[in-house]
Amino acid sequence: MSMNAMPDVHTLTGAYVCDALDPAEREAFEEHLAQCAACRQEVAELREVTSVLAKAVALEAPAQLKAAVDAQVAVTRQLPPEVDAEFGGRSGSGREGGAREEGQTGEIGEREPAARQSGAQVTPIGAAPSRRRLRRSAWAGWAAAAALAGVAIGLGVHTASQQQQINALSQQAGVMQQLLSAPDVRKGSAEVHTGGYAAVLDSRSRDEAVISFTGLAAPPPGKAYQLWMMGPSGARSGGLLALPAAGNPKPIVAHGLGDAQTIGLTVEPAHGSVQPTTTPILLLPMGS
Amino acid sequence: MPSPETAGPAARRPTPEDCLSRVALGDRDAFDQVYTTFAGPVFGLARRILRDPAQAEEVAQEVLVEVWRTASRFNPQLGSAQAWVMTMAHRRAVDRVRSEQAAEDREVRLARASAVVDYDDVVETVENRLEQQRVRHCLGGLTELQRESVTLAYYNGYTYPQVAKLLAVPLGTVKTRMRDGLARLRDCLGVGR
Repeated sequence: MSMNAMPDVHTLTGAYVCDALDPAEREAFEEHLAQCAACRQEVAELREVTSVLAKAVALEAPAQLKAAVDAQVAVTRQLPPEVDAEFGGRSGSGREGGAREEGQTGEIGEREPAARQSGAQVTPIGAAPSRRRLRRSAWAGWAAAAALAGVAIGLGVHTASQQQQINALSQQAGVMQQLLSAPDVRKGSAEVHTGGYAAVLDSRSRDEAVISFTGLAAPPPGKAYQLWMMGPSGARSGGLLALPAAGNPKPIVAHGLGDAQTIGLTVEPAHGSVQPTTTPILLLPMGS
Repeated sequence: MPSPETAGPAARRPTPEDCLSRVALGDRDAFDQVYTTFAGPVFGLARRILRDPAQAEEVAQEVLVEVWRTASRFNPQLGSAQAWVMTMAHRRAVDRVRSEQAAEDREVRLARASAVVDYDDVVETVENRLEQQRVRHCLGGLTELQRESVTLAYYNGYTYPQVAKLLAVPLGTVKTRMRDGLARLRDCLGVGR
């Protein structure tokens, strides 16, 4: 079927990569894709675009996710590679060899039972801070340390000058720069009762704050640090603080400050709490 | 686009594409790196679409295990590792949001989710902020109709007929705006080929 015979189908590439087609249309479009190299090319390009949209809403993954994934991976057999189109993919319609679109897309739906039957409920191993190497996080930590130097120097916090850190700094400086150049930027710092320091830069006009921690002790076994935005109307969770195996946690950008006046930190169960359940080990005032 | 042959040890920092090709060989260390790269984006996207943290976490877990399981099917000739993983994540999250089951599940989960952190969207890392600013800048370059069509479909998981109804414009217009909006984003972001 030529493209001219289906003038309309082409325009569906955008809706397709947004997963905005209903199942019947999706299937029909995928049939068309198998025969339309130009469409496949366009879909591939637009998927790079949507993947950037996805990355822009990244959040810190919950601490217990890694253990859950690892437990399941340990009991999940991997698919062998598809050897040759001649032998037919499972779908049997890969007429254009390895370039068939489905080879690159989520085949995830049909296998849900297999993916779920084993290990999904395995208890996380203490949900301790992940041991994975957080190279970029460490850089981010240094970037914040440097940007917060005005605060940190007073506390005797060590800053390093290796080339990598400088490079990372220049990449990330833009974020800090915007905050630092706000007319009403304030700096604050405080000691964490259980060890370490916290520093904050905040701006009411930008409605955001950057919080940085140095020298924090590991939380007690089975516990986690949880951040709070505290104000007259109560405490809002800022999520669990992810701690790398070594070095300082990533600096955190908090936005939508609302009526919050103080950054709080408490020790909570590994999965966190809805409201603080222990006495804060840090009360860090923001500028007001 | 790197090929497995060039992924020599210590020659340079392995790309996500290199890592995926090693995951296909059963390499758990490579999978750890893939996890570190993509767990945050996968969870964040699922959270954005599903809203419910417990469901988002389930979807993220399923997707990341699926990355392990199907790594041999990743073909760097057809796109980046990021596009491959995030396509899976988006499809899965949207399928979940559209399934009838989801509504019931959600109530059950909310009932037992009292101990789960309320992941307020008030915090993010500095790295994400950079990406976010780039995207915001480029979204700002779209027409309002392009921008709304793309974001309602991609971030809210709406079908294009639903988007058309919300925006009170013809179906054909929404289809076209999604496509040319994404094309304009592509040029602004400098991604794709």
